[in-house]
This record gives sequence, structure tokens and C-alpha cells, in this order.
Amino acid sequence: MRRRLSWLAVLFVTVGALAVGASRDGGPLDPGDRIDAISRRIACPVCDGESVYESRNPASEAIRSAVREGVRAGGLTDDEVIAEVADAYGAQVLLLPRATGLDALAWALPVTAAVVALAGLASAFRRWREAAVQSGEATDDDRRLVERLRAERDGDGSGGSR
Amino acid sequence: MPALSVNLALGNAGLLITLVAAAVGAASGAVALIGGNRRAIAQTHLFAWPALLGTVLSVAMMQIALAQRDYSIEFVQQVGSSTTPTLYNVAAMWSALEGSILLWVLVLVVFTAAVALRFRSRRDDPLVAWALVVMYVVTTFFALISFGPASPFAAGSTVPVGFDGPGPNPLLQNHILVLFHPPILYLGYVGFTVPFAFAIAALVTGRVGEGWLLETRRWALFSWGFLTIGILLGGWWSYEVLGWSGVWAWDPVENASLLPWLTGTAYIHSVLVQQRRGMLRVWNLSLLVATFSLTILGTFLTRSGIINSVHAFAAGEVDGYLLGFFALVVITSILLIGWRGDRLRAPGSIDSPLSREGAFLANNVVFALFAFIVLLGTVFPLIVEVVQNRQTVVGAPYFDRLSMPIGLVLLFLMAVAPVLPWRTASTELLSERLLWPAWIGAASLASAVVLGADGWAPLVAFGLGGFAAGAALRQVALSTRRHGWRGLVGRTNGGMVVHLGVILIAVALAASNTHTHSATIELERGREVAWGGHTFELVDVVREVDERTDVARADVLLDRSGVYGPAVTTYLQMGMTIGTPSVRTGFDKDVYLTIDGTNPPSVGDSTVVLRVFVKPMILWLWIGGALMALGTVMSAIPSRLHRRPTDPTSVSLSGGAR
Repeated sequence: MRRRLSWLAVLFVTVGALAVGASRDGGPLDPGDRIDAISRRIACPVCDGESVYESRNPASEAIRSAVREGVRAGGLTDDEVIAEVADAYGAQVLLLPRATGLDALAWALPVTAAVVALAGLASAFRRWREAAVQSGEATDDDRRLVERLRAERDGDGSGGSR
Repeated sequence: MPALSVNLALGNAGLLITLVAAAVGAASGAVALIGGNRRAIAQTHLFAWPALLGTVLSVAMMQIALAQRDYSIEFVQQVGSSTTPTLYNVAAMWSALEGSILLWVLVLVVFTAAVALRFRSRRDDPLVAWALVVMYVVTTFFALISFGPASPFAAGSTVPVGFDGPGPNPLLQNHILVLFHPPILYLGYVGFTVPFAFAIAALVTGRVGEGWLLETRRWALFSWGFLTIGILLGGWWSYEVLGWSGVWAWDPVENASLLPWLTGTAYIHSVLVQQRRGMLRVWNLSLLVATFSLTILGTFLTRSGIINSVHAFAAGEVDGYLLGFFALVVITSILLIGWRGDRLRAPGSIDSPLSREGAFLANNVVFALFAFIVLLGTVFPLIVEVVQNRQTVVGAPYFDRLSMPIGLVLLFLMAVAPVLPWRTASTELLSERLLWPAWIGAASLASAVVLGADGWAPLVAFGLGGFAAGAALRQVALSTRRHGWRGLVGRTNGGMVVHLGVILIAVALAASNTHTHSATIELERGREVAWGGHTFELVDVVREVDERTDVARADVLLDRSGVYGPAVTTYLQMGMTIGTPSVRTGFDKDVYLTIDGTNPPSVGDSTVVLRVFVKPMILWLWIGGALMALGTVMSAIPSRLHRRPTDPTSVSLSGGAR
């Protein structure tokens, strides 16, 4: 009982702290942070995959000042600023693949792989459980039963680790 | 000049000795093993020694050639310079492709000789002999590349009297880590050849039980540890040198080192399930094959120049060889696994997802998924280019976005898995064992909120980090309470200390990625500027010129307490200019100063434009790395309190120990 209360308290603290912390997330604090966040998503057009944020190349400086102007002008979202840069410099400056056409595969394949992996894991466990039932081995339910009876016999709280 | 060509001749001779020894060793060993000639099998190890000597000779000749600036050798023309300081001149060997491959061969023959030495009492054991044969095959391949298409001892074109080379790339001669990061990374990279060789040997001999796993456990651990340290040193180097204040850019070369680390990490976890339960045999073999072949594929991707990378210091004519070898490794391994399929079938089953082995399996699925995503993102530009003939870049934001949920799942697993017993667990047991870790997690989450952290993802990371740290500390505390200080070492506790290091790194990354602030500040001499809770004042602009470099440094007084000197360095031989940041490191945050742009300031300038980054918790990345190294060492020390894995489970703990 005391343990259950303690878990409830943990839950309460966690949910409370998350709610407070996540709700006050106001995004980037000042224009500088926003410029950084945007320039992290744009590739330097001439320097081997570095982002504009990382690169010191003059071409990156030019894009950075374009971003700065876009942010200073106000009214544009991050995506819109990036779209403007992509219009001017071509889609190869986008560091984040688009969600259309062939580029969408970059997003679809990981999700598919995750689903397949989870399904495979689930089916493996089901197969193992069925094999255990058929071979007459102890199943999870059997073990739970034994554990419960043991706990009742030994009295509460000493639920053994071994 | 006859004295100089000696370097070239002996260097080539050394590589030839290695090539011949490895090729003959592989061929004669395989013939003896297939024919069952026991005497010949027992001689397989002999070839490791000439192979080692040959490469040591070659490396010595390369170092002498670099030290003498022997411009009769093409490679020295490329990376040598009379102005390079001695330490960086030593490291010049691995500043371009040919020398890097030579370093690879050196590490490989050292590992091969170490295997021959370690298993000297079992020379006639076919398992050991087959493993040596595999190592010889790999050595033959790399020695062939090094002797042929990527020869570091190719004769150079005639140079005029007084010729001086450009020296290594400036980024490879301005920080001491260039001496450590590549060799340590290679120790990890190449080290996985040993468990791979034993895996192949186990398949060939049909001894696919747990014996070979136990033989190679420490080798895998050792390689994994060095790979970990090598990657982290790379991050440190990037932070100290590149001037954008980041430690990891998801650059293709970085990804190439991360890929084998991910599969290797999956392996050192799942191997425990096989040792304990005899299960996951095919999976473990596949992970080792994947780890080894990914090192080859990674080298191919980054050294062939088909993917752009800031690490592309070296591209050469070796891509066909590497791709061919990669295909050979993968196909041979798959055929062998298929051939031994019947012996590999696992005898047992995993009863419950809520068990230690269930958690290890989940861990493996997540790591495999992580590796898949990193590989996909790395080669995606290639796919697009082949299909649609257009250029794309897949960069850090893609990897950041996809690795964030994976990182959170891994933190959660790190919290739950260590308290799970083998076979099965009840919710009752979990609620008992996880209560204190959960409190630590809730407390760390609450204190992060009090300290001003925001955003749900970093907050969840802080909470799960505390939860996982609690679980790791619980294990260490229980073990030391039960067994005293002797309980501290051994596999389990070493693993928990590694976990603590990983948690520190995860939390530090979450904090620094989301709470870094930066600004471009124009500083005027004698006038203090305040930004982000700090004050900056330009004290002076200093210029230091020697025969190698022209350094323009801006001395900046930070918070009225210390002078920091970000600089722009021009490398005179190459005419290249790179910025060098200056960092004030602290336990809570770093203040990272760098000169904006690449134009060096001039002496007497009254204004300098600085780029300033304030980054929280960076120091904890390196502390976490040190903990990971410490934990790896701890888990390699045999804990005498643990039973030997081959002993029957019924032997009591103390009985099994003595």
C-alpha cells in the first residue's frame, strides 16, 4: 500500500513537472536563436554537407544574412524562411528531406522498419510462448501463480529477487 | 640520392613481406585445415610474425621518410613540409589515404600477432587456426591495397632542388588530438576483425556453441571501448578546432564510425543472452558480420569520394577494391550461416518480454533500427542521385529528429533492464525494484524544471536519465554492499558504470542541443559589451608569425576575469585560413569564442566581430566519456565473485568462485 502511494507520488511529480516545463516552451528566445535554428536546417551550397550554421564559407555568410533578413522582417515562419532560401539557391540546400516524391522514402522507410521490427518482436514472443505451452514447460501464467502462492506463504514484502 | 631511396625500397619490401606472409599463411592454413594435416595446422600461427615485422618495417620507413622529408616518395611530397612540427609530422602519416591504410595494416597485423600469442597453447585447434586464416585473408586484402593502388611508397615525380611540400591539411596540424583520435579509432575499427574471424571460424568448424563467444568477449569489449573513445575524441576535436561549437555533425565519416559502434553495442548486449541461454546465435553472428562489414563499407563510402564530407582529406583509387571486399565478406558470411543453419537453431525460448533477455532483445531491435536509419540517411543522397540524377544533402536535422525518440527509448530500457531478472519478472518485483530509480528520475526532472529547462523532449530525457542512473546506481550499490569493494568490478557493474557515462552524455547532449545560445558581437577596444549574462571587452589584437603560420589573435576579457584569445590562423605553405576558437570551460556551461568569418583581424584594429556561443553541460560529455572508458576497463576485469559462464548454474556463488 505504501509502495503504491509512493508510485502515485512519483507519477504526480513527473506529470506536474512535465506540464510546467513543456507548457512554458516559448520557442527560441531571441532572433539570434531563431536564426541559428533555421540555419542549422540549410546546407552550405559549396562545402561538402556542412550546414550554414557550421560553415564559415562566404556563401554561407550570404545565406545567413538572407535568413537574418527573413527573421527580422517578421511575419514569416521558419519553414517559410527556409522555402525562400530554397527558391533562391535550389532544393539541394535543404538538409531535411521533403515529405514528397522520392525524398519521402527517407521518412517512410524508418517508420516501416520500426513497425516491422516491433511486429517481428511481438510474433517471436508469441511463437515462443506457444512453443512453451505445447512442450508443457512452465508458462508465464504458471510462474505468476507460483510466485503469488509463494508470496502468500512467505508473507508480504519479502518477494524474493532470486 | 641513394640514402633516400632506401626508405622507399625498404618500405615497399616490408609491405611485400606482409602481403606474402599473409597470403601464404591464409592459403597454407586453409589447405592444412581442409586436409586435416595436424602438424601443418599447428604451424598456421607462424605467419603472423613475418607479417608483423614487415609492416613494422614499412611504418618505420615511412616515419623516417617523413622525418627526413624524403621527397623521392610521392606521399611525402603530398603531406610533408619542412615547417611541420615533429609531433604533427608523425601524425602526417595518417593525414591522407595511403598512410591511413598503412596504419590500418599495422593495427591489423598487431591484432593478428596478438591472437597468435594469446592462443599459442591451442595452435592445433582448428577453431583458432581458422580464425587466423580469416585474419590473414583480411590482412592480405589490406596489404594488397597498400602495396598496389594506395601505395604510400610510390616513387614521386622529380622535384626541383629546394622543393618543400605543403604539409598535412591545416586542420590536421593544429590540435594535439590528431595524434590520438585516428589511431584509437582504428584500434576499435580494426579490433572487431578478431571476433569476426572467430565467428567465421566457428561457422566453418561447426563449433557454433558458446565457446568462441567466451574466447572473444574481451577482444570485442576492448575494440568497442576504443571505438567509443575514438568517436568521443573526434567530437572533442571537432569542438576544439572547427569553430561552430558542435561535437557531432552527422557527417558521413562520423556516421561511418557510428555504424559499427551501433551494431557492436547491440552485440555486446545480445552476446550475454547467448552466454546465459544459448539463444540468438544467428543474430549474434549477423551482428558481428554487420559490424565488420560496416567498417569496410564505411571506409568505402568515405574514401571513394562518392559522398561529400568535411573529412574528405583523402580520396583515392581504392573504391572498387573496398566494395568488392565488402561484397565478399557479406556473401561468404550469409552462405556460411545458411550452411550451418541446422546447428544454429536455438534450443531455448524467451519466455516473457518482461525479462532480462526480453529487454536485451528490445535493446537490439532499437540499436539495429538506429543503425538502419543512420545508414539510410548516409546513403540517401546516393539513392536520389542514381534514381533522379539530382543532388541532395541529408543533414543533421534529419538525424536529430529521428535519433531523438530512439535515444529516449534507449534511456528507458537502460532504466528498466538492469533490474529485470532472467526468465521472467512480476509487476510486483518491478514496482519494488524500480521505485527508488523512479524517484531519482522524478527528482532530476523536477530540478531541471526548477533550473529553467523547457521543451518536452529534453525534459523527458532528463527524467529518464535520472531514472536510468538510479537503476545503474542501485545495481552498483547492491553489489558492493553484498561483496564489498571486490563487488565493484566485473561485467555487470562495469556495464552499469558505462551506462552512467552514456546517461551523462545523453543528458549533456539534450541540454546543449536545446539550450545553446549564440550571438554575433562587435567588440570595440576598451568598451565593455554585455550579452547573455556575460561581459566581453576587446583588449588587444596580437599577431604571431613563424615560418609555418601567421596567427591573428583577438585577446578578449571575459566577465572581467580572464583573457581568452580566439584566433584566425593562416597556414603559409597552403595559403589556407582556419579559425581557432577559445573556450572557457565550466561545470555548468562553456563560453565559446570564435572570430566571425575567415578574415583575420589586423594589429591595431579597434573592432573585432566575434561569434559567441554559450553552451550548457559540455564538460559532462567528456566526463561521461571517461566514465564509459572506466566502465569498460572494470567490466574486462574478471570478477572472482561471478561463476564462470561454463559452470553449471547450480554451483553456489562462493563455490564457483574458487
